[in-house]
Amino acid sequence: MNRTILHLDLDTFFVSVERLLDSRLQGRPILVGGLSDRGVVAACSYEARTCGVHSGMPMKMARELCKEAIVIKGDASVYTRYSETVTRIIRENVPLFEKASIDEFYADLSGMDRFFGTYRYASELRRRIIRETGLPISFGLSVNKVVSKVATNEAKPNNQRLIDPGREKTFLAPLSVRKLPMIGDSTYLTLRNLGIRRMSNLQEMPGEVLYRVLGRNGLTIRDRANGIDMTPVIPFSERKSISTERTFDRDTIDVQRLRTILAAMTENLAFQLRRGGKLTACVSVTIRYSDFQTYSKQLKIPYTSADHVLIPRVTDLFYRLYDRRMLIRLIGVKFSHLVHGNYQIDLFEDTEETIRLYEAMDKIRLRYGDRSVTRASALGVKTIGRMTNPFNGQPPIILAHRKQ
Amino acid sequence: MKFIVSSSYLLKQLQVLGGVINNSNTLPILDNFLFELSGPKLTVSASDLETTMSSVLEVESDAEGSIAVPARLLLDILKTFPEQPLTFVMEDNNTIEISSNHGKYALAYADAAEFPKTVELSDPSATSIVGDVLATAIAKTIFAAGNDDLRPVMSGVFFQFSPENLTFVATDAHKLVKYQRTDLSASEVAEFIMPKKPLNLLKGILAGSEAEVKVEYNESNAKFTFDNVELVCRLIDGKYPNYEAVIPKENPNKLVIDRVQFLGSAKRVSIFSNKTTHQIRLKIAGAELNISAEDIDYSNKAEERLGCDYQGDDMQIGFNSRFLIEMLNNLSSDEVSLEMSLPNRAGILTPADGLDEGEYITMLVMPVMLNN
Repeated sequence: MNRTILHLDLDTFFVSVERLLDSRLQGRPILVGGLSDRGVVAACSYEARTCGVHSGMPMKMARELCKEAIVIKGDASVYTRYSETVTRIIRENVPLFEKASIDEFYADLSGMDRFFGTYRYASELRRRIIRETGLPISFGLSVNKVVSKVATNEAKPNNQRLIDPGREKTFLAPLSVRKLPMIGDSTYLTLRNLGIRRMSNLQEMPGEVLYRVLGRNGLTIRDRANGIDMTPVIPFSERKSISTERTFDRDTIDVQRLRTILAAMTENLAFQLRRGGKLTACVSVTIRYSDFQTYSKQLKIPYTSADHVLIPRVTDLFYRLYDRRMLIRLIGVKFSHLVHGNYQIDLFEDTEETIRLYEAMDKIRLRYGDRSVTRASALGVKTIGRMTNPFNGQPPIILAHRKQ
Repeated sequence: MKFIVSSSYLLKQLQVLGGVINNSNTLPILDNFLFELSGPKLTVSASDLETTMSSVLEVESDAEGSIAVPARLLLDILKTFPEQPLTFVMEDNNTIEISSNHGKYALAYADAAEFPKTVELSDPSATSIVGDVLATAIAKTIFAAGNDDLRPVMSGVFFQFSPENLTFVATDAHKLVKYQRTDLSASEVAEFIMPKKPLNLLKGILAGSEAEVKVEYNESNAKFTFDNVELVCRLIDGKYPNYEAVIPKENPNKLVIDRVQFLGSAKRVSIFSNKTTHQIRLKIAGAELNISAEDIDYSNKAEERLGCDYQGDDMQIGFNSRFLIEMLNNLSSDEVSLEMSLPNRAGILTPADGLDEGEYITMLVMPVMLNN
């Protein structure tokens, strides 16, 4: 069956939201991202891009490049709210959609041509989103996800693009291979070294050559360059793990502080587990030293979601991992092997007080927010904790620069 | 050394002893049965270092001697014989020759001196129990013992002997079974933790047996003697958790229900529960028990309603269905009672009938934290 896949992408989403909140920002170069020395650009306006700024760039460098830019710290909860409004409109208007990230959607419009022109329908949907939210959005419409996404990127900013069925290959041919999803910096470099620059080169390449250079991915890349992609639109994404991490403004060796942060992270993640009715059976800790060497260690444990079981495990993992007497740049905690279920109370280790304490703390947090009550030991740590429930079936909020 | 013995008689004894032998041994000698012949008495032993079991067989012989015979090989050949007398003759070339009606078989044997010596209990205390009673006590408790290497004391059954009663307890920290006999007693107070493996062996041998079992024990070992069998095992070292403290005393909510019905419902509903956590939810209101489960990952769901006799406040409580099913399966009464206080405190399951005079069973099951 011929498929019709729509890809919608909100243009410079964070910037657009900021402009909506403050109209003075219209037409001026804007940078959204961390303000500290370690901060990176999460999003930038098209005006700023003309100076050579791109997302993922260190904020310091971006400010150098674009001195007149207005720098905004950004508020993920506001962006989430706008994203939800857009999601609602899309949900009401298409039969099947996938929220790929906070500002990106795929919708499966297969078979709707009989009743409406899908292109006309998609155009109306786009107009409706712009009208109701005031946010600029672009879309690409074609037979699969990859071509639609490339089409959207070609259409931007604030525009739309239809790739007629059968024209995928000719549409892709003149484009740079860099524009194909899946090709990042390193793959791009490999391909350029082979003399491959345009998609047309990739299309003509024998599969076995690409297989030898890039392995199995090479074949997928070749298919995609030819406009072939069968990946379905997945309406619900189940989280396989939850994690949190922290990059320090200044590298640290203060073990007491690191422990505190780990405890705060674990406490918060454990609450997320309980709120989502989940249990974890695998904890892992990651540390990145100041020389960017990154290490992580994981541990299988019986299914649990209790702070007092998890915190000692995480601390223990950290001590086993931290053996280089060097400044630490980043630490993170991850829980994986998640299953639906509730904490099995232990006859001997859990007192009734502990269990009641958890119940009470979770109740307070549900009502007044994640950070409304914490262990005293975690009080010093301010910004650990997320705004949304990680188990709401939506993809994690990833800042723009982390998409790769 | 030479003896004659009935093939099926020997097989029957050896099969019981074979249960002691591990599949893979670090010490090769443990793959053998120790044969110690002294006139018409043949003592056969098997050991895994922790547990040593021996039984005395009557054979036709007037010789003396000890050898270690490969257990697997011997059991395999014995299984194939129809009932007939077998002649065992020790040859000079370190083999033992078995002669049957069909032919001759030679097995290489090992030096009996290599076989670990059975521990002699120094200064033991003693009591005695009827075989079947001990087997029942083991059967009622052993399923609740844990497998956690980090908590070795919970991997065994706790024996508590006193002049008033005998108590057997097993727990894995999520469920607990206490089996008490007030009609039996020991001469003095004693407590020890028995590992699972010898208990399983005893359970198998003693089920239905009227034999009097003599139990001797000291700090480190226990010895069970009955009929022609003797079993010595090392005890689990450590302090058993204070289980009495975790049995809730005040349980205002009491549910009485038909065991078979309850078990059937729990089994059916649990099929629809999460495959890893097996959680089910009990909702009790008025005279109705509602059992439900849900596996969100696959959109599987089940719900059943049962009539019951309930006194107390309406409540909801979550359990791991496997624990409930194991416990209900292990009981044999027509009706059971489940006493509860709060959704985050242990439920106490007891049989409502069918117990002998002086027999008490208390089962504890810890709930899971439900979020409402």
